[in-house]
Parts: sequence; structure tokens; C-alpha cells
Amino acid sequence: MKVEQGTAAAQADGKGNAAPPSLNRYAWAALFAFTLAYPAAVSFDNYLLHVGITIAFNVALAASMWLIWSLGLVSFAHAGFMAIGAYTSALLLTKLGWPMWIGMPLGAILAGAAAVAISLPLMRTRAVYFFMASWSVGEVIKRTIAYFDGLTGGWNGVFDILPPTIDLGPIQINFADRIAYYYLAVVICAIIVLCIYRINDSRTGMIHWSISENELLAEHIGINVFKHKVIGFTIACVFAAVTGALYAHYQTFISPKSFDIWKSEFALVHIIVGGLTTVGGPVVGAISLTVIDETLRATGPFRVILFGVILIATVLLLPGGLETIPGRIRRALRGRKSS
Amino acid sequence: MHLLETRNLTVRFGGVTAIDNLSLTVGEGEIRGLIGPNGAGKTTFFNAVSGRYPSSGEIRVRDHVVSGLKPNEIVAQGLARTFQHVTLFKSFSVLKNVMAGCHLRSGYSFWGALLGTPRTRQNEADNERRAREILDFVGLGGLADETAANLPHGLQRAVGIAVALASEPQMLMLDEPCAGMNTAETRSMSDLIRRIRGNGTSIILIEHDMKVIMGICDQITVLNFGTKIAEGSPEEILRNTAVHKAYLGSAADAS
Repeated sequence: MKVEQGTAAAQADGKGNAAPPSLNRYAWAALFAFTLAYPAAVSFDNYLLHVGITIAFNVALAASMWLIWSLGLVSFAHAGFMAIGAYTSALLLTKLGWPMWIGMPLGAILAGAAAVAISLPLMRTRAVYFFMASWSVGEVIKRTIAYFDGLTGGWNGVFDILPPTIDLGPIQINFADRIAYYYLAVVICAIIVLCIYRINDSRTGMIHWSISENELLAEHIGINVFKHKVIGFTIACVFAAVTGALYAHYQTFISPKSFDIWKSEFALVHIIVGGLTTVGGPVVGAISLTVIDETLRATGPFRVILFGVILIATVLLLPGGLETIPGRIRRALRGRKSS
Repeated sequence: MHLLETRNLTVRFGGVTAIDNLSLTVGEGEIRGLIGPNGAGKTTFFNAVSGRYPSSGEIRVRDHVVSGLKPNEIVAQGLARTFQHVTLFKSFSVLKNVMAGCHLRSGYSFWGALLGTPRTRQNEADNERRAREILDFVGLGGLADETAANLPHGLQRAVGIAVALASEPQMLMLDEPCAGMNTAETRSMSDLIRRIRGNGTSIILIEHDMKVIMGICDQITVLNFGTKIAEGSPEEILRNTAVHKAYLGSAADAS
């Protein structure tokens, strides 16, 4: 078969093909270095540290939801699984006095078990039906928690969820200190993002994208689509639960309302604005939108409207999201050079 | 022992019987043509054998019952297929398409992939080498980095075959590989099919281009309304009156 060589030049920007990895790695390293230096950079301002912690939660949520997206699915059950992690850890502390270090992994395991059980029927649905079904799963989790008010405090929620402490003799850290909690949140968030990055970068990631791209073909080349969907979904839900536990011990108060549909919806918006094809998308999206949202706090009642305008503008002016910006700049520079 | 054997294979959609008691055997190293008028049940046969549609009756691969298995399990049994409409991971590069196809026959463990163990890296390197070999074999070696969606139709079909070959099948089911191709593309496709058989892979071929069918098939099975109306060598099929009747109608029907 004769091969046209001329088209080979156009391939550099093709989706799904590896971009130069070195630049990518520098960007991640720079971002992580900045997050570590951030508390000092804002001279330990309490409010700005709070923003930083919120960003860490949002990044972790958006990134784990993006892992489900890489299977071609949009799950609105995410806030529900976050609630499972949060409530498990919170109740173990308030009822039994078990610290977060035990509550968080147990919450993650419980959420994982729930995710496997729920995804068995859930993964038989597709596209918009999956979306609707996952939405109701999230609602059911929330309302189930509210229903057992003897245990969970119902709609009033759980109070006094103390942050954890570390007591190793010479090293003592009380995470009630906001700087300490900031670093805790950043480290856990970084681990979650790193795991998702590795999953996506490996064969598992290729399997996910092939399912998302063409489920029929994926099945007929020997990929167990159902199994991979269940596993991917479960991992993402475990990460959501970890984030939930982290959230509960930071807020010290949670109620079913903390985990309603808006939590999932914001995570989805972060992904869409950030970009859908790389892990960088949800990370950048969650960071920038949280910053914008907090900045708009000063505008009072216009906050929601302005936020909406910025959202629509991003989607219209930057199809593909913020992650496409480096590529756009590169192309613009190349265009100038050649002309 | 036959490579593929169906016994009384039946596929029903509600009240319609798309495949009716079809018994068929394909031997090793054979190129079998599957022809028939539109709606005869050729693609339905592929869908049933490849595990996409539920069917009754029995499907055997090397005397091993495979009926009721899911598509991914059927592929693992050595039965790969392509699709009538170009079916690819369109946003992937050509190489990545074929590497996805290699997944089945290459070692994979979730934890190994997550941790990036040396073994995993070795696996991935082997995978890429195998994918490139297959691409060279089907004549797409120079297009490995091209995005699949950007290729012309004929080349996309060749990629589809490369993806199917990557699962190292004993039998390849090709659903109209030459559909929508020009004469030159058709010729190179026929040549490719012969070379695939030359590597020891049997082939079942659905095709409407009679030049291709008559040119490369050892045996031809003719379907009409879900039943087998004729079977034999190309010469026998050409002379068969039942086949003429199915395609053109008989003098009695015309009057």
C-alpha cells in the first residue's frame, strides 16, 4: 500500500497521542512546588489558607470524577460517595472516639464496597441513562443518611468532628492548626492526583479511553468492558470518600446538605472548564474556578451571575477547556514563525 | 476437527427469524465466502458467532463449545472480527489502535500498570513492537503516528483489520472489507486477505464484490432468508440455479 508522507506533519496535535512529556513534568513539578510554598507566600493568612484547602478538596473531587469520565461516563453519585467517607469517619470519631487515621481508610473501604455493589446494576446503563441513575444513587445515599437520624443526626448533621492529631513523642502535630491541615490536604490531594495520573498513563488508562471511544470495538478486541467500568468507578469513589473524610474533619460539621447534587455538579463544571482529555484539565479547572469563585465573593449578590458568565465565556471561547491553552500558544507561535 | 462449527444456529428478533437452523463448518486455513442478498443474515451470523447477539443452537471452536460467551471471551478463543462500518478508536493514533488490540495477548496487571514495574515497561515495549510489526504487515507502517480519523476510508479499513489481527486470531471474520473501495484498494485488500491466510489464519468473508469472492475464496456459503441455500467451490456456486434465483428471481416469479 502506498503511503502519503505529507500528512505526517499534521499528526503532532492529534488527540490521544503523547505530547512532549518533559514540559508536562516541569509544569506538574512547578505546581507542586508552588502549593508547598503557598502558605509562606500568603504569609499564613487564615482566609487564603482556607481557600487553598478548599482548592485541594475540589481538585481531588474533580480529578476522581474525571477518572470516571475517562470511561465515557458522567457520574453524579460522586457527592454521595464523598458523604459515605465523611460520615463513616465522622461517626467513628464522635460515637467511638476512633481518630481520622482509622476512620478515613474504613470510610474508603465502605465506599468502595458500596461502589462495587451499586455499579453492578449501574454499569448496565449507558450515556444519559447512566447519568440519571447515578444522580439518583447520589440522592439515595444522601437521603438514607438523613433517614437514620438516631445514628447520623438526620438533617441536623454531625457536630464536633475534631481534626486529627499526630503524637509520636518528639513529633506532635495538631491538625486543628490550619497550616498543618493545609499540608495534610495538599499531600492527600497530590497522592490522589498522582494515582489517577499513573492509572491514566498506563495500560489501564488506554483501556478506559478505548471503552469511552468505542465500547463495541473494545469488547470485540477482548476487553472486559463491564469489569473495567466497575473497577474504574470503584477507584474513583474510594478517592471521593477519602476526600469526604478530609472535608468532614476540616469543616468539623457535616450534614446531608453538604453532599447534595451541587457538589457533583461543581466537580463536573471544573472538569469541563479545565478540559476533558488529560488529568491536567480537572486540576487546572478546579484551581482556577475555585479562585474565581472566591474572588467574586466581594461582588456580593452578583457572584453567581458573574460566575455563570465566566463559565459560559470559557466554554464558548475555549472549546476543549483550559488544558488546550499550551497547544494554542504553541500553534500561534509556529504560525507567526512561518508567516 | 473443524476450526469453526455451528449446529442449528438460530437467531430470532421478536417474531423474525434472522438465522434459521444454520449448520456450517469452516476448516483450518480456509478462506470461506459468505454471500447472499441484502437481509440474508450474513452480518447477523457474524454478530451471533462473535457473541454480540444471543443465539440458540451450538457454536464450537476446535470442538470447544463457545455459545453464550461474551464478545471479549470469544476473542480470547481465537475468533476476531471486523465491522461492516469502519469501527476504530478514531481519536487514537493508528499505532495506539493496534496496541489496544494487542492488549488481549500481552501480560497486564492493574498494579503493575499503576506502579510502572520493569515488567510492565517491558510488556508495553513488546506491545509496541508487535503493533508496529502488524502495521508493517498490513502496509501501514509509515502511518503509525497518524490519527485514525484522518486516514482515507480504505486505509481505515486496513487499520480495522490490523486491530483484529492484533488479538492473534485463529479465525478472522471480515464483514465487507472491500465496501466503498476503488479497484486499486480492492486489489490490495484481496492481496492482504491472502497474506493473512498465508500466516495460518482462517478467514470468513462477507463481501458483495463478486470479483473478490470468486477470486480468493476456497469455499462459498450462500445464505437467503437466514438459511443456507448453497455451498461449494466458486465454480459450483456460479452454476447453482438456487443462487441465481435468490439473487435475480426466477422466470416463474417474473411472470
